[in-house]
Amino acid sequence: MLKIIYSGCTMKRNTFYLLAGIVALAEVGIFWLSVRLENPIPIQVAFVLGVILLYLARRRVEETIEDERTAMITQKAALRTLEASWVIFFVLSLGSAVIAFSRPLGLRPPHPEPHEVFPTEALELPVFGGFAIFQMTLLCLMIFLYVGFRVYYARKYGEWDTDEEQD
Amino acid sequence: MKNRIKVYRAMHDLTQEALANNLGVTRQTILAIEKGKYDPSLELAFKIARYFGASIEEIFIYDEPV
Repeated sequence: MLKIIYSGCTMKRNTFYLLAGIVALAEVGIFWLSVRLENPIPIQVAFVLGVILLYLARRRVEETIEDERTAMITQKAALRTLEASWVIFFVLSLGSAVIAFSRPLGLRPPHPEPHEVFPTEALELPVFGGFAIFQMTLLCLMIFLYVGFRVYYARKYGEWDTDEEQD
Repeated sequence: MKNRIKVYRAMHDLTQEALANNLGVTRQTILAIEKGKYDPSLELAFKIARYFGASIEEIFIYDEPV
């Protein structure tokens, strides 16, 4: 039944963009809900569902929204993002390696009473949170890089050019 | 690479949108090709030529780089 409804349902390009905006807003709302509930499951599930929904909706758009030129722009932007990200990740990893090997043989000196000085409960959560923020920062950087490269190649290959036929 | 798509469109009284829909590409792609900002793939070039009932050489003119 759901398959029949899905296969018979087509949408216009602008409807798809509107749907994408609504999904993005909903994701922001669910993110804050997850923070309030102190439970990561809602945003994680909602994000995956949002991606699936947009993927399915995109396939139902009746007008052509992707062709060989847009595919080429996407490929070039993705490749440049990968190249730039590789350099950034390598630089950060080099920094981490230097910090790790600054200590003798890269090993921490034994501590007489580690539990008293560094209580595990007090350390784990902030360290984990800091790592998550670090990951998110890198992810956001990759997204910004991708958007930047995409804009560059879109301009280069006439995405926003106008002519006498432009509405 | 230069092309005469605009001329052929005028001869067939076609808008960019109509041509794009018939070829299964976006209007921006037709515009980019006409302006020389994007060189189409061989497949799309053949599609364009066949659509206008012409040969590729009649529509696309290859300029040797100086």
